Amino acid sequence: MSDDLIVVDGVSKRYVTSSGPVDAVHNVTLAVSAGEFCTLLGPSGCGKSTLLGMLAGLVTPDGGRVLVDGRPVTNPDPRRVATVFQDPGLFPWRTALENVEFGLEVQGVARERRRAVATGLLGPLGLAEFARKYPRELSGGMRQRVAIGRALAIDTPIVLMDEPFGALDEQTRVLMGEWLLEIWRRTRKTIVFVTHSLGEALALSTRVVVMTARPGRVKCVLDLPMAHPRLMESAELVALRAKLWSEIRDESLRALQ
Amino acid sequence: MRIWLARSAILIAALGLWEAVARGANPLLYVPPSAALPALGRLLTLQSYPDLLADMALTLREILTAYALALTAGLACGAALGLNRLVGRAYGPLLAALYAVPAVVWYPSLMLFFGLDAASKIAFGFLLGFFPIALAVLAGVRQVNPHVLAVARAFGARPAFVFTRVMVPSMLFTLVGGLRTGLALAVIGVIVGEILGSKAGMGALINHAYGLFRTADYVALVLVTLVLIVGSDALAVLVERRARRWTE
Repeated sequence: MSDDLIVVDGVSKRYVTSSGPVDAVHNVTLAVSAGEFCTLLGPSGCGKSTLLGMLAGLVTPDGGRVLVDGRPVTNPDPRRVATVFQDPGLFPWRTALENVEFGLEVQGVARERRRAVATGLLGPLGLAEFARKYPRELSGGMRQRVAIGRALAIDTPIVLMDEPFGALDEQTRVLMGEWLLEIWRRTRKTIVFVTHSLGEALALSTRVVVMTARPGRVKCVLDLPMAHPRLMESAELVALRAKLWSEIRDESLRALQ
Repeated sequence: MRIWLARSAILIAALGLWEAVARGANPLLYVPPSAALPALGRLLTLQSYPDLLADMALTLREILTAYALALTAGLACGAALGLNRLVGRAYGPLLAALYAVPAVVWYPSLMLFFGLDAASKIAFGFLLGFFPIALAVLAGVRQVNPHVLAVARAFGARPAFVFTRVMVPSMLFTLVGGLRTGLALAVIGVIVGEILGSKAGMGALINHAYGLFRTADYVALVLVTLVLIVGSDALAVLVERRARRWTE
């Protein structure tokens, strides 16, 4: 496991709710090597977000361990890992630009420097004209893009993304995916991406980890070595889609019950 | 602009009514504006009360001290109650209950403890200003979105950074309301304290003029005190307006 940047070793997490304990994640093991675009695919409530929270150092597993770069994760490590949350969680009293600057400000980066980094990111995110707007003045999609900018600004080798395009319309979603691939290809970051969208998983990832319905376990892992951009209508991808769908169908059905 | 016109209109109407009613009445008790204005002039030129500036400075000093104390204690107390669940649930209701007691009932004992000088006025202003500030902080801390705190933590923010850059701005809107009420009540506490018993300060002058039936001087003193209070509130409004831009 020498080139495995992220190692998840038999982790479990149980939440205690008013209606009894709930196993969110059960005995999950997986490894992500450097430079991978790894997607966690599964039905709602399969513990994808919990797993991502563990990678981010925000959720402590009840059993097992998570290693990043060979070291156990106990706390958030903003030098290695940046996170984009499902709920963008922007700071309402900060403008778009100031939100993107947040991580750099925490790290004590000088004002002009962080302003330059943030301004450079807003352009490709299509937010150049909205730099001075407050989150409440932005659309849902724009807010999510600001959150992505905030994560990219601290330029970490690992970026965790929890359904970052979930709230976007289909077209924007595709465009944002292309833009993300562009960044990934240029910077060789390792991306762990949570989604429930088959199409998104197929279009973006180099590897798809299919998870079961609650409690979340790894059902199967699929490698997607083909180059980007991918033509969804190609025979190879159509076949893969059918295979992924058959894997995930039962889980989605179980999640409904 | 139209708001100012409307405001001037009601002011002029009130002055006119005041003049009309006071003209025919006993001049010892009722002073028309036409007599109050010259009295205000004599007051401001230090003819009627040569020590006016010293008294004003004393009152301002008492207000500032009372408010600073209320602010410090209110922030600390509110944060302690808001950040610690047990402490908050144990003492939060007590705080709200004490706030509901008409504070003026404490004033006689404050005069006994602190004497007739500035200390008892500061204590009374503090007592009035403290509660709304503490309660606003308590409510504010509970309003902070836990997700936003998690985000800050994910970016490596330490507790001090989280408190000053995330929690305080998160609750600023609630907080500013409490800070403004606290200031208004601290001012009231100091002035009421002075009127109820003191040897110096604006309240003492008001009491003096009133006791000697120098009604015109009394009215002039009240006007000056009003300006003092309105000025301090205007400052609070400025802060509040800034906070409003990102909320709502």
